[in-house]
Parts: sequence; C-alpha cells; structure tokens
Amino acid sequence: MPDIADIETSASAKATADEAGESRLYEICILFPLSLSQKDEQVLLKEVETILEEAGGRQVARDAWGQRGLAYPIKGQTEGKYVVYHYDIDPAKLREADEALRIVPNLLRHLAMKPPKGYRIVKFSEQYEEWLKNREKEEERREREREEELNRRVVERAKRRVKRVEEEKEKEKESAVTTAAKTDKAELSEKLEKLISDDLDI
Amino acid sequence: MPPRKQQQQQRRTDPKLKKCPFCGKGVPYIDYKDYPSMKPFTDYFGNIMKRYYTGVCLRHQKMLRTAVERARFMGMMAYRK
Repeated sequence: MPDIADIETSASAKATADEAGESRLYEICILFPLSLSQKDEQVLLKEVETILEEAGGRQVARDAWGQRGLAYPIKGQTEGKYVVYHYDIDPAKLREADEALRIVPNLLRHLAMKPPKGYRIVKFSEQYEEWLKNREKEEERREREREEELNRRVVERAKRRVKRVEEEKEKEKESAVTTAAKTDKAELSEKLEKLISDDLDI
Repeated sequence: MPPRKQQQQQRRTDPKLKKCPFCGKGVPYIDYKDYPSMKPFTDYFGNIMKRYYTGVCLRHQKMLRTAVERARFMGMMAYRK
C-alpha cells in the first residue's frame, strides 16, 4: 500500500498522462451487505479486483470504509460495507468491467466515476478526523459569537437604563422649576388681589 | 387588491444579494462521499434545496446535484425521508 502523499502525486501525474489517451484514473466504489461472512467477503473483493485487473486496470489506492448504516434499505439490508478503489483503466475497458460488476453476486451497488480535476485521494478516516477538528473550531466560533452578542446586549441595556435615569432626573428638575414658578405666580396674584381689595376698601 | 405598502412588506430579500457558500470557500468540486458538505443543502425530506433559497451559484448547484444523486444511489443519502 503506497503512502497517501505518493498517491496524491501519482494521481495528479496520471491525470496529466490521461489526457494523452490510453488509461485514466477512475474511482470505483462498491457496497456489499454487512451480513456477509468473512470468507464470502474475501471472495467478493477478490472477484471485483480480478474483474478490474482483467480489464487492464492498475490499482492506485484502496480504502475500506467498514460498517456503515444505509440511508434506505437495499435488498432488505439496512447496513453495509463500503470499499473505494482507485484504478488506472482504459475508458473503453472500464465499460466492460462495469457490465461485469453488475452480475457479481452479493454486490449491492457499485459506482465508477471519473474524479474531477484537481481531485485529491484522501482516505475516509483522515477526512473524518479533519471534519471533526473543523467542526470543533466551528462550534468554538459560534460559542464566541454568542457570548459577544450577549455582552453587547448587556452593555446596551445598561446604557439605556443610565439614559432613562438621567432623563427622569431632568424631568424632575424641570417639574420642580415649573412648580416653583407656578407658586411664585400664585403668590403674586394673591398679593395683587389683596392690594386691589385694600384699595377698594378705602 | 391589497394596498401597495402591504405588497412591499411581503416581498422577500433579493436572491442576487445572497453569496454562494461554495464560492466563498473556493470549493473546486463536491465529493459525493462527503456527506457533511451536502447535508445543509437538502431539506427535511431529503430534497435538494432550490438555489433561490440557498444562494448557491449555478456552477456549484450542478455539482451539488450530481454529488447528491450519486450519494443517493450508493445509499449514503436518502431519496425521501
């Protein structure tokens, strides 16, 4: 089994070589039921590999995913095992191999596809670990944003409260002034009335 | 016919204002084996969401469609929940 870094370089080198013709890199994913015995499993994998090699394929990478639950039952099976192969095959011969794979017993699904440009062959376990790390980062980021939002709200509320208190104080002051003015007016009018009444008395 | 003001309130945000989440990250292709990258673009029932709602560009929506269809065929994603 070659190293992943080697695989990547070889894959990219192959991708350039493919354009000249002959063989090109293909990804073949197969799905078989979990209920298969170990012996049957070995036989099945051997059969698949021989089919691909008979078609002139050269194995570049092999990634066994292991047990996986299915999104919907396939032929009564709710769990299965995936294996992802990368092969260098002649496109015309791949079609024959694809037809041959259709009649392999115990093979639930198979899918052969041409990897897109700039495709990196990454093992599923490594991809999963990367995803776990990124997810943690994402969660941390979200947590931080939430806290910032909360702090902002608290500060705003405090500001609003201070403002309200100040406004109330101002209002009180104003009302005090107006009441004082009112009392002054009232006193004046009283005095005036008194004076007028005094005048009338005379 | 409802008044003009009410009509304006009901109008949704312009889809042109949304930005493609894949273009933002510079995604060159969408892998059908990468479930977490496709999951946010399917709804509760397992349907692929419209571009109108997600803001994905046409180029990436086409990639997403093939990836989701492949994943469905291989039993990694549900056709219908």
